[in-house]
Amino acid sequence: MRVLEAEAAVAEYYTPGSTLGVGGMQLAAAPMTLVWEVVRRRIPVGRLVTSPSASIQADLLIAAGLVSEILSPYVGFEYLGLAPAYRRAVESGDLRVLEIDEGSLTHALWAGGGGIPFVPAPPGLDLTDIPEVDPEMFRRVTDPFTGEERWAVASLRPDTVFLACAVADEAGNVAFDRFPYTDRLMALAARRVVVQVEELVPAGALSDRAPGATLPAFLVDAVVLAPGGCRPTGFPGRYAPDDEALGAYLAAARDPERLAGYLAEHGGGGER
Amino acid sequence: MSEWSITELMAVVMAREFRDGEIVVMGAVPALPMAACRLARATHAPRLEFIVGGSGTVSPEPPSLPLGSCGGDLAPAATTLPLPDVVLLEGRGDAFDVFCAGGLQIDAHGNCNLICVGSWDRPKLRGPGTVGLPFLPNTRRSILYTQSHSPRTLVERVDFVSGPGHPAGPDEARPYRKEGPSLVVTPLATFDFSSEGRMRIRTVHPGVRHDEVLAATGFEPAPGPEPGETPPPTDEELAILRSFDPAGILRR
Repeated sequence: MRVLEAEAAVAEYYTPGSTLGVGGMQLAAAPMTLVWEVVRRRIPVGRLVTSPSASIQADLLIAAGLVSEILSPYVGFEYLGLAPAYRRAVESGDLRVLEIDEGSLTHALWAGGGGIPFVPAPPGLDLTDIPEVDPEMFRRVTDPFTGEERWAVASLRPDTVFLACAVADEAGNVAFDRFPYTDRLMALAARRVVVQVEELVPAGALSDRAPGATLPAFLVDAVVLAPGGCRPTGFPGRYAPDDEALGAYLAAARDPERLAGYLAEHGGGGER
Repeated sequence: MSEWSITELMAVVMAREFRDGEIVVMGAVPALPMAACRLARATHAPRLEFIVGGSGTVSPEPPSLPLGSCGGDLAPAATTLPLPDVVLLEGRGDAFDVFCAGGLQIDAHGNCNLICVGSWDRPKLRGPGTVGLPFLPNTRRSILYTQSHSPRTLVERVDFVSGPGHPAGPDEARPYRKEGPSLVVTPLATFDFSSEGRMRIRTVHPGVRHDEVLAATGFEPAPGPEPGETPPPTDEELAILRSFDPAGILRR
């Protein structure tokens, strides 16, 4: 584990074209400092895997034209509406979608983290149209105990995940605040883990803190200090989503002519 | 009688539907179902618990209704269930009682669609994605709601089933499916379901005509008892709703 600047962490631990996982839920805890680094350097993302509900951390990468395919149960802006770049890219056929739901994604990540080759899906999925359109993630299996036919979801190991967490100590042990969402699970499943943090404290300083560091340094490759680095999304307990700044992004992303200006203006290094 | 907004009426309708002791789950943009749960807890269902979306907070009581489902404003909450645990329990089928959900489209059998309008591989409209809706049949029942009652939203058959409703045919092959959708709440009316699992008008909101509801609905509802008028919020219900909605999220 090393404490690095965003540029070095992304260059060292994300291989262009590989599978990138991005954490954060809805309009909270999006690892925007790391994502902007990918946008700024125009690094292609072969497959983007999101948490169960992504917003700007996915839409921005798509808006920048960097994503070839996406595996995500949700890309949107919750109470602010649909994700413009995601919508446009899928409707025009420019972005390949691997359809998945929150449950299957979560189980696929557990499986990836635990060396489990696939997971038979719990009830519900079989009554939807989802598995039929995504043969890459879903296949039929026979339950060896009952003989019943079921859907199974493939296990999932992102090559690299980017997360935004509350605090790390200088040894790289990472603590979540109130909500770990599925970010901790994504870290367990990933081959490489880069964590941007709001706060960096001396090694060992988290030992007295409840609930303490629950992601040990040996599961973390790089820590990047980035206070405020989830903006314009929020970080619970520290800052709220900036609806005005999110609105500015949405307006730019809806209009391809304005998008280039937005990316140039916000990708110039000022986004911290 | 005080003036009230349609969204306040919808919250009151949902609140009255909850039973004491039920565990309710909800997804993104939680203000409406959350208001309904809090109203139910303050009136007839003090032992009801609700889990708010990706935060996993259990029955949070913030001073003001939140816009989002994952923010730091979902406090105080006595407990929080980490999201992977919520997902795990949703698969089990006996952990949660009511799922509050909606969709880009909701069809005559209560199937929901958050994925696409038109064909999946070349959609006219790409939705955000289904999140947890495949788990709808795993709760004992579901309550569906939409802020948009139009022939585009309430359709005969969804273009893509991302949240299962009642089966259109015989149910034998799907033994685990429970009560299914029990109520649909819109800005114009409420619906329940016939014994064949087809939506029928239960009540029409005050000031709305029956033919307006039919014109705004993209399918022929099943015949049923003559729909009455949705009972409006009482002064007590409104006072409770507004006690935790000082910003008037439900009146926008």
